[in-house]
Amino acid sequence: MTAQATRDVSTAFGTASNRRGKYFSFKRFGTPIVIAVALLTLFLWISSLSLDSIELRTLNWAYLQDRTFEHLRLTVVASAIVAAIAIPAGIALSRVHSKAVHAVVFGIANVGQSTPAIGLVILLAIVWKLGFEVALVGLVAYSVLPVLRNTLVGLEQVDSSLTEAARGMGMRPFQVLTRIELPLAIPVIVAGLRTALVFCVGVATVATFINAGGLGDMIVNGLKLQRWPVLITGAVVVSCIALTIDWLAGLAEDLLKPKGI
Amino acid sequence: MKKPVLALLATAVAAAMTLTACGGAATSSTSEQKGNELEGLTGVFGAKDFSEQFILSHITSQVLNAHGAETTTNTSVVGSANVRTAFETGQFAGYWEYTGTSWITYNKQTTPLKDKNEMFEAVKEADAKKGIAWLDPAPLNNTYAFAIREDKAKELNIKSLSDVAKLPASEQTFCMESEFSTRDDGWPGLQKEYGLSPEAKVSMLDTGVIYTATQKGQDCNFGEVFETDGRIAALKLTVMEDDKQFFPIYQGALTIKADVLAKYPAIADVMAKVSPKLTTEVMQQLNAKADVDGDDPDEIAKAWLESEGLI
Repeated sequence: MTAQATRDVSTAFGTASNRRGKYFSFKRFGTPIVIAVALLTLFLWISSLSLDSIELRTLNWAYLQDRTFEHLRLTVVASAIVAAIAIPAGIALSRVHSKAVHAVVFGIANVGQSTPAIGLVILLAIVWKLGFEVALVGLVAYSVLPVLRNTLVGLEQVDSSLTEAARGMGMRPFQVLTRIELPLAIPVIVAGLRTALVFCVGVATVATFINAGGLGDMIVNGLKLQRWPVLITGAVVVSCIALTIDWLAGLAEDLLKPKGI
Repeated sequence: MKKPVLALLATAVAAAMTLTACGGAATSSTSEQKGNELEGLTGVFGAKDFSEQFILSHITSQVLNAHGAETTTNTSVVGSANVRTAFETGQFAGYWEYTGTSWITYNKQTTPLKDKNEMFEAVKEADAKKGIAWLDPAPLNNTYAFAIREDKAKELNIKSLSDVAKLPASEQTFCMESEFSTRDDGWPGLQKEYGLSPEAKVSMLDTGVIYTATQKGQDCNFGEVFETDGRIAALKLTVMEDDKQFFPIYQGALTIKADVLAKYPAIADVMAKVSPKLTTEVMQQLNAKADVDGDDPDEIAKAWLESEGLI
């Protein structure tokens, strides 16, 4: 088990279920409040500045909306693809006991994450084409590892006495998987998805280099032309999106936890 | 030795060997000394983030060092404005800037001057007030241009940007960097001046990707390129003539802190032997060595200076 996955397992099963009564505790709203305050402060600050023509080209609602939408589209679609690829792969891998196969698959996933995203994305743009699909490939390659690893670890840490009992009760392997193993592994898998989502938000900033839009546009513009309001807006909005997505995923994680854990 | 210690030692040696291979080009190589009049001059010469700037920075540092100075280069700063700030705050002793850039971006002027000498004098005067000296410029004009693949240009029968404006909107597709798309002297102004189609499809790319995208022609017909870039000829691209002279003149010259120049006036004499030789054509060739052949800018600078007998 890798360190990250171990931590995910312990946090997933360590926190008490917030199902009964304590679901909407004050702690639950901590993050959204911080995000709202940050965005409000940013808005008030930008409104108080007199912006020059270059800044006005990017600091307007239409531009911001378009870039945010592009960014979210990249993040969500990439994460959906990652889930569709990595979770079944993780399940399949948990059924195969060959160390060689594990090593190869994890090797590929590792390469995907360790290859600098910007290098991968630009190489693909030169060899293949520009735009949304290419950026997606880069993002998916980057985020596969946490989900794959967590799926595998989540399934492996299911108590074998439970699966034996299930098989003893006459359940077929598929039923054991869907009714016992997956529900118990869900907290860890969702934790992995949460990580992948946050990765995607961050790495989607690189999409700007191959005409796939996103908030990276604002950051690069602001940096190259030294227009700090633009740069800060881009950076703060990306961070707020990452925090929001992380919070929503945390919500989903708690909702999907089976009762009794 | 015990196994863990041996393994640790082996890793350390391997890491050290890998890291030495990454040795940066921070120090410039020198050949024979040509004189000593710049003895005592130290400093860092900066560069913007493209090959021409790297080469010019190395040329400057090497030729000054051949006259007794001990200067180095820094080619890792990204973004024109960041280099200028590093220069203004004293981190860099000097760097090569372009007259148009200083006039429009740093001195916030909106109308460029059409005559290159007038442009240079105006910029020299404006920057002198900030304690920045401009040495005599080189003939090279690194202005923006739009290039298209040669065969497509023949097919569409276009030679200038006015011709481009007459093309149907579907053919008016452009690739440019994000910096160009928001600069006042960039895309917004160009589109207005030539009456380019408001439905023109614009793709925003990283500078390096623009050249390959333009050559492929899949996503855009026209790519924003620089006149002195060596890749234009190498990738069989042809430049559209700026017949309305929209793009400002970007003549290259060495900018240096006025107090440094006052202390070492011989810098101007040394550079006066170098700058006149840097024409647009020469710069294209040197740039091609870096961008097409993949040679190291430090080596390119050295080879050129040696071939010109300057070091």
